[in-house]
Amino acid sequence: MGRNATPEIGPLTLVSALGRGLDATFAKLVGGESGLQPYTTVGGLVCAVGRVSGIEDVVLPRILARYDCRNHRLAALALETDGFSEAVERLARKLGAGQIGVVVGTSTSGIAKTEAAYRDPAFAVADALPASFPYRETHNVFACADFTRRYLGVKGPAFVISTACSSSAKAFATGMRLIRAGICKAVVVGGVDSLCDTTLYGFQSLGLLAAQSPRPFSADRDGIAIGEAAGFAILAAPGVLGDVGGMRLMGIGDSADAYHMTAPHPEALGAYEAMSAALADAGWRPSDLDYIHLHGTGTLANDAAEDLAIAKIGCSATPVSSTKGAAGHTLGAAGACAVAIAQLAMREGFIPGTINTLARDPRLQSTLVLQGRFSPVRRVLINTFGFGGSNCSLALERDA
Amino acid sequence: MKAFIAGIGLLGPGLANADEGFAVLRGERAYQPTALRVPEARGLAANEARRCPMLARYALDVGYQALNAAGWAAAEVATVFSSGSGDLDILDKNCRALARPPIALSPTLFHNSVHNAVAGYWGIAMQSRAATTSLSAYDDSFAAGLLEALMISGDGPPCLMVAYDLPPPPALAPVRPVTVPFAVAVAVARERPLSPCVLVEWGWRPCDLKESELSAPDLEALRRANPAARSLPLLQAIAQGASTRVVLPYLVDGQLVLDVSPIAG
Repeated sequence: MGRNATPEIGPLTLVSALGRGLDATFAKLVGGESGLQPYTTVGGLVCAVGRVSGIEDVVLPRILARYDCRNHRLAALALETDGFSEAVERLARKLGAGQIGVVVGTSTSGIAKTEAAYRDPAFAVADALPASFPYRETHNVFACADFTRRYLGVKGPAFVISTACSSSAKAFATGMRLIRAGICKAVVVGGVDSLCDTTLYGFQSLGLLAAQSPRPFSADRDGIAIGEAAGFAILAAPGVLGDVGGMRLMGIGDSADAYHMTAPHPEALGAYEAMSAALADAGWRPSDLDYIHLHGTGTLANDAAEDLAIAKIGCSATPVSSTKGAAGHTLGAAGACAVAIAQLAMREGFIPGTINTLARDPRLQSTLVLQGRFSPVRRVLINTFGFGGSNCSLALERDA
Repeated sequence: MKAFIAGIGLLGPGLANADEGFAVLRGERAYQPTALRVPEARGLAANEARRCPMLARYALDVGYQALNAAGWAAAEVATVFSSGSGDLDILDKNCRALARPPIALSPTLFHNSVHNAVAGYWGIAMQSRAATTSLSAYDDSFAAGLLEALMISGDGPPCLMVAYDLPPPPALAPVRPVTVPFAVAVAVARERPLSPCVLVEWGWRPCDLKESELSAPDLEALRRANPAARSLPLLQAIAQGASTRVVLPYLVDGQLVLDVSPIAG
């Protein structure tokens, strides 16, 4: 696509285990600190997680009381951080609420609410949820886009994209299409996923949960730590944001592995196709990239496939790093986290390090940045790869 | 904006495929909702077919019908998968496993529980690595999926949109009233196909028109019984072959408006 026709990414917000807001996140990244901590589930599973503190204290507006669940409290926390809801409100006054859409990525939505309801002694008696249970408002997959549009009072089309760990990257793709088709002038795009037993025990069942902390791209890597996060950005047609832009969405690459439900393609074909399609869409050569924010989950197979795909597109010399050892794997919110971190990298001229990883696995070829360093960053590729072989890469550029 | 519909796939009670459904929607055949064909997990190897949940089978079945009707190769078309609730049967099993010690999830049920599991099975069955997305807009998931497919095909490859929902297991029935199984697929392209097709002038707009309904009470009841069956007014317009306006509600504030007219091949 031509540069002048590319959507701008304006105000952003991020809440994760790295902290509340962009500045807090940046302080942790510069300090090389991890936000992961030990955690024990109700059922006694012990693991490391990226937990957001303060969710328990969030009170939703009374009109949205039926939407109350951990996932929406986390979303509300992010919407009230970094001046985000105020920025949307100003934009809605300028454009009209009907011109602003909402696209949110999530993998499990508010499932923790249903998990708890199944544990309730009343469930064992009735063997069914009570009709009063707010399934639609909390746990249904669409609930977090429904919540976000009501919270912000915007009235354009709304979607939830749910493609496992690529959900919120693909949400940016849908947001861009709404703008290109002329249906919206701006779209609130984001990702929200919160801690729940389904993902903790699910990844444990697949043997993918790290015994201690995740160490992406290291020789002794042994799996992921799950994190929770909510991130949002305003994606807008060129010119709409005035001088509050800062970054452009230059290209999107979307692909499927067509191989296996959980294992990546052994020749990394799907990952390769997503990355090369994003570069082609942006009109970039591999050497144009200043930094690749890895999916970098820290499982043996995923890291090897991503490394191979990076070599295949000719980016083995490009600085790459994973922030999953710092914030954990935030699943459906991973794309939104990566976009926020890419913006920090551009704004501060800083390439984050691969926190927790001491040395690169010698079998891998990528130029892994272990310790964060200051260096100008203009063009970034972010990778997200999910279950079901669902891949999405985004090409982002700093506004000059 | 303009698009062409090149093929339809359909499976619901008394509607075994698109041709049968069209005959019912034209009023040529009485609607008898008792018969329900078992969907096929076409293209999957035996071990994958064993793991493939019923919801994905519905999607594979209707997706293949529409692809076949359009005469497209799976690897050359983007896909959109849309469901109002995803796989509630698997959700119920997983939540039960998490509720009582000793807690353990089945790895297969866990990976099948993701909303895009259906897309994963489609890619494997069709050997397609083409772009794909999986989405939801609760009861308006058909309109949302169709809007996404119209946008994707508007500046890209043809797009196959598949929408599906199944009735929940008894434990979830009180909170999710979907009472019949239903799946539909629509093949959408920007360029006019060689085969007989339907021209659609489409737009999203703030709510001001009356929602399209079906005049036959039994079919109207079916339309309301499953989010994917909200497609029936569009299918009826295509079946009847007359120029018709179809209004699909999309959340409380908007509508997807489709002006449909037939084109002979």
